[in-house]
Amino acid sequence: MRFTTLIVRNLVRRGVRTLLTVVGLSIGIAAVVAMLGIAWGFERSFLAINEAKGIDLMVVRAGVSDKLTSSLDESLEGTLKRIPGVKTAAGSYMDVVSFEDANLVSVLVNGWEPNSILFQGIRLIGGRTLIPGDGHSVLLGRVLALNLRKKVGDSLDVAGEPFRVVGLFESESLFENGGMIVPRSVLQKMMGREGNVTGFVVKTEPNDSKTIEEVGKRIEAAVPGVAAVPSRDYVQGDIRIRMVKAMAWTTSAIALILGSIGVLNTMMMTVFERTMEIGLLRALGWKRKRVLALILGEALALGFAGALLGVFVGYLEIQALARTPTASGFVSSSVPTSVIGVGLGLGLGLSLLGGIYPALRGAAMQPTEALRHG
Amino acid sequence: MADAVEAELLRGENLTRVYPDGNVQALRGVTLSVRKHESVAITGPSGCGKSTLLHLLGGLDQPTSGTVYFENKALSEIDLNDYHARRIGFVFQSFHLLPTLSAVENVQVPMFEASWPRSERVQRAERLLDEVGLLHRRNHLPTKLSVGERQRVAIARALANEPGLILADEPTGNLDSVSQNEILSLLDRLREDRSLTLLLITHSAEVATWADRIIHLLDGRIVDGV
Repeated sequence: MRFTTLIVRNLVRRGVRTLLTVVGLSIGIAAVVAMLGIAWGFERSFLAINEAKGIDLMVVRAGVSDKLTSSLDESLEGTLKRIPGVKTAAGSYMDVVSFEDANLVSVLVNGWEPNSILFQGIRLIGGRTLIPGDGHSVLLGRVLALNLRKKVGDSLDVAGEPFRVVGLFESESLFENGGMIVPRSVLQKMMGREGNVTGFVVKTEPNDSKTIEEVGKRIEAAVPGVAAVPSRDYVQGDIRIRMVKAMAWTTSAIALILGSIGVLNTMMMTVFERTMEIGLLRALGWKRKRVLALILGEALALGFAGALLGVFVGYLEIQALARTPTASGFVSSSVPTSVIGVGLGLGLGLSLLGGIYPALRGAAMQPTEALRHG
Repeated sequence: MADAVEAELLRGENLTRVYPDGNVQALRGVTLSVRKHESVAITGPSGCGKSTLLHLLGGLDQPTSGTVYFENKALSEIDLNDYHARRIGFVFQSFHLLPTLSAVENVQVPMFEASWPRSERVQRAERLLDEVGLLHRRNHLPTKLSVGERQRVAIARALANEPGLILADEPTGNLDSVSQNEILSLLDRLREDRSLTLLLITHSAEVATWADRIIHLLDGRIVDGV
């Protein structure tokens, strides 16, 4: 018989209670895994946009909390291109629209100039790209086309205006795949923001981190009221990513408390019910630390089982979300190992936290007192 | 005299035990000595302090005053975990087998403190079960064993780490007369085969006569047979 045999038998002995504790713990961990997985997918997708296009700096209105609300004059593009170290720059106007009939909310609409560097990383999978002179023409991302059931040549109503689908594209970014691209001037007019862009993307030359930083400072000095942020910092500072991460960790905190209380309750009941047994083990010569290890081992086994189940359920949640039309545009189906690691670590940490006090209580029992319960 | 001191295994000197809750004086200055390889029965009516005395001698409880010596060393000076794990073996009236473990697994429980490899633990437990005549029941849970068989498993467990002294608290208290005689015969045989010392608590005069020596306890004092 191994020491672990004793741990497993004690848990199986009270199967229903063990199962309920494991399920309780797994719910919290599943929520954490799902939330962190979504946050990671968000961040990864944003980063993919910039990496595919080779963007070094993002220039937006300084001080705005949500980058989508940034507004700059499109004529600044010429100013930016003249700053030493800037290889090229392009303005982009972004907005979000809804397609209620398809149950799609917050669909990203990119207003780009035809032939803009922003088209780098966009691969056509049907039809053609935007060309100068295009009016109400739209390119649909692969996921959006699937969700809207549209193909090249179909008409599409965008924010109350009729568009013609001229092409379908695929990108490394989930956001772009779930969004659409229209001529910038058309989108500006539709939204009543003629002459304005959300921001500019800038490529530097060379594009080492030192140059990027220096060029950023030059831009901020040359154009008052703008922030020139390295693309990675820009993504990590995005309000949506920060909110999702904050929600994920808030959920974690709640899971931490509830999970610990669940394990604590189960292990306290276990220790009280097995007072005689614990006394017996001490009478048979078991050291306090072995009794401690037995009870903590049971708590950790509960935590490990809860973590495994939680990670599995969280993974299924993400898969299910990634397949729903509403969320498929911004939820990635891949879950990184770091998120799985956080889920497993959280399960073991919670159970350890909940098991410490009962284990100390059990280990401190006097054999005579405990044996009286028999 | 020198031989007698050398032969002494366990000694209690002027042991008293007062329980603070209710101010009950369970033992009132008990002094006794147990020599190696002898069997001693401590007998007396319920509440006379028999179990309290056994717990003090077994190091499960601390005397309010007085000292317990094992091989001429005070228990306060020796490692109690080692004392429980290797030097003595307990047998209880209610057997106290772990309900989730089979017979052979129950016998292995004290062996964890002896650091034997797993394969050796299993072999030793099987040998002990064979010795008490229960090898064929090795994989049965306690609930599938008769009360007599359970006590045999408990005796095998008490011998797990080959102690020299067995402390038995009413080992036949829950048994019918047939099982009682079987258990007493078993203990007698094991004592002979293994040169064990046996200290037995019993309220039964019949069981007490089986021992080499009988100590009568009444109201926390020895009244006969020191």
